[in-house]
Amino acid sequence: MTVDVQYYVLLSMAVFCIGLFGVLTRRNALLFLMSVELMLNAANINLIAFAFYHGNLTGQLFALFTMALAAAEVAVGLGIILVLYRNFHDVDVTVPTTMRW
Amino acid sequence: MAAIATDPFGFAPAIAVFPLVAFVVTLVFGTYMPKKGAFAGIIATAGSLVVSLVMFAAVTGGETHQTTLYEWTNGAAQSATGVETIAFSFGILIDPLSALMLVIVSLVALLVHVFSLGYMNAEGETGLRRYYAELGLFTFSMLAFVFADNLLMAFMFFELVGLCSYLLIGFWFRTESAPSAAKKAFLVTRFGDYFFLVGVVAIAATFGTVGFAGEESFVTAAETAIDDGATLFGFDAETWVTITGLLVLGGVLGKSAQFPFHTWLPDAMEGPTTVSALIHAATMVAAGVYLVARMFGYYALSPTALAIIAFVGGFTALFAATMAVVKDDIKQVLAYSTISQYGYMMLGLGVGGYVAGVFHLMNHAFFKALLFLGAGAVIILMHHEQDMWEMGGLKDKAPVVYYTFLAGALALAGIVPFSGFWSKDEVLFDALAVGLAEPVILAAYAMGLIAVFFTGFYTFRMVFLTFHGEPRSDTAEEPHAVGWAVKVPLLVLGTLAAVVGFANLAPVASLLDLDITFLEFWLDGEYGSIEGLTYHAYHETVAFEESYIGSETTTMLLSAGLSLGLALAGAFTAHTLYNVPEPSRHTQKLGGAYRVLKSNYYQDEYQVWLAEGFTLQLARAADRFDQTVIDGVVNGTSTISLFGSDRMKRLQTGIVTNYAALLVGGFIGLLLVLGYLGGWFA
Repeated sequence: MTVDVQYYVLLSMAVFCIGLFGVLTRRNALLFLMSVELMLNAANINLIAFAFYHGNLTGQLFALFTMALAAAEVAVGLGIILVLYRNFHDVDVTVPTTMRW
Repeated sequence: MAAIATDPFGFAPAIAVFPLVAFVVTLVFGTYMPKKGAFAGIIATAGSLVVSLVMFAAVTGGETHQTTLYEWTNGAAQSATGVETIAFSFGILIDPLSALMLVIVSLVALLVHVFSLGYMNAEGETGLRRYYAELGLFTFSMLAFVFADNLLMAFMFFELVGLCSYLLIGFWFRTESAPSAAKKAFLVTRFGDYFFLVGVVAIAATFGTVGFAGEESFVTAAETAIDDGATLFGFDAETWVTITGLLVLGGVLGKSAQFPFHTWLPDAMEGPTTVSALIHAATMVAAGVYLVARMFGYYALSPTALAIIAFVGGFTALFAATMAVVKDDIKQVLAYSTISQYGYMMLGLGVGGYVAGVFHLMNHAFFKALLFLGAGAVIILMHHEQDMWEMGGLKDKAPVVYYTFLAGALALAGIVPFSGFWSKDEVLFDALAVGLAEPVILAAYAMGLIAVFFTGFYTFRMVFLTFHGEPRSDTAEEPHAVGWAVKVPLLVLGTLAAVVGFANLAPVASLLDLDITFLEFWLDGEYGSIEGLTYHAYHETVAFEESYIGSETTTMLLSAGLSLGLALAGAFTAHTLYNVPEPSRHTQKLGGAYRVLKSNYYQDEYQVWLAEGFTLQLARAADRFDQTVIDGVVNGTSTISLFGSDRMKRLQTGIVTNYAALLVGGFIGLLLVLGYLGGWFA
């Protein structure tokens, strides 16, 4: 029994939109990071779904790459958040506005 | 020495190289040399004279020489007449004209160097190393200018001559007047040279060549263009030749101190008298007239240009002669006489009298060098007093100076049989012959003729005030003695001033039917010559009609008699007024004219007005335009971008959420645009 590909796409879109909504509305840096993860995984769902649909393993391979990349990104992101907290005693992304012009 | 016999022209570059070496050596080692480098200069100019004489002998033997020494650039360039390449080079042209001029220049330079021993060294001047170095450079530039085989090389050395005279006129740079006179000489001649430079560029662009002689010369090219009836830069060929010729003439008028660019020359008397002798007789001022003679074939193609040269020459001859009448400074009188005499040369060349002009150039070189060196001797005698009213009675105390100076004065005034008479008469005869057919030339002739009277007058006024009568000051009672270094050049030049006129006794030749017009044969290529650069070739090109009163001989004798009579009348007037024991100034008899003459016809005033009232205002307006409009545009560009970016940067809030929103908004916007273009909403 197989699920039609459009449902995967719908799922992926829903996850992506949740992530996007989080990025645009959350102020907590940790939530921010999580939202980004959601968006990345939405992309992963798409990659795997279409790989399965086309009977081609390249998409799954790319999903693996994305996961590795996401891990690295989270490591960097968490590092930034740590430094952020050390300097501003907060993880609110709207507070550190001094790093502009 | 054997090489000199087989290939004399191989040594031609040495003529200019000798003084150049003297310049370098004196500049570097002058302080440690005996007489501060005078001997280096004397040896170098003597060397130049010897080689020049070898050239002269070789040309007499029927040979001429034209060679390119160094080609510094060439390339493809389409000229207006269709020549497709152009080359700029240094080259040497030895023909009768340049060989003659080389001898004159190196001889006068040698004598000036010798005289400097008595004038500069004996007086314990400081800066002699600089003096002799500059003198060497001056001689080098002039000699190289003389043998230049193309217009661009001539221009370069023409400029170098100007630079050297600037340096030498400003030799006593610690005084107030000398640097100012030097700057004036430099600027006025440079103003003329602008036109010259434009002329050189125009000639190069038109004919694709700047050579003086041969098939490849611009003269030949211009002749061909006129014969073909070509149209050059929108003008017919002859008009264009006139325009370019007149542009080059700008440089000539500046250097040869012709109206209205003559104002620098009297001020140039601020330099040492030896320098004045060199500038006036053989180098700086002679360069202008020599250039006209050098490219005479080009001017001969344009009757308009020739008529302008003749008219300016005749006018300047009279104009300057009247100013010389009221001067009190012995050097000032000579300065104005120089302007006037170069006017005669221009008149001679302008009426197509190539031989007459060159003849006068040669004679003038000798007698004017003599007069200036004589004036230098007088200045030594008088302990550096130059006012003639402080002199008087020097005749018996310094007979050598007196008799040589008198020889020069007789030549300048044009009294038979001294050299100036023969050449000035020939100039006036040529002018009269053409003038009888062309009214404009007749006016120029009339002015030249009247100037003869003034010349006789001011020359002998100078002689009488300086040497005759009773001494009018203590220094005139007890003059300083002069040494051999002063006397020898005076004696050499005195002899030349008396006899050099016999080179071309045209009236005698015509009267007695003898072949003794040697200079005419010389310039006409009876010995060596380059085709096209002969008197005959020029004479055929010049379009002027000639007519005579009675026969040619009658006209010649009439003209000679007239000018001699006027010269004697002038001299006699001076004799009555000033050859008395206690002469008075007689200036009140001139009335208002005295003030005008004393102020040099307000020439300086109007030129200063032109500079300050017109040029300066124009420059200020241009400056204002530059400051406001041009700078305004430049500054406005930066102000707008600064202001714009100041507004734009506010987009960066520093809040990550905003960036994310912009990113998303931008992406959606892009998607919509692409979608629209892709036809989603159609």
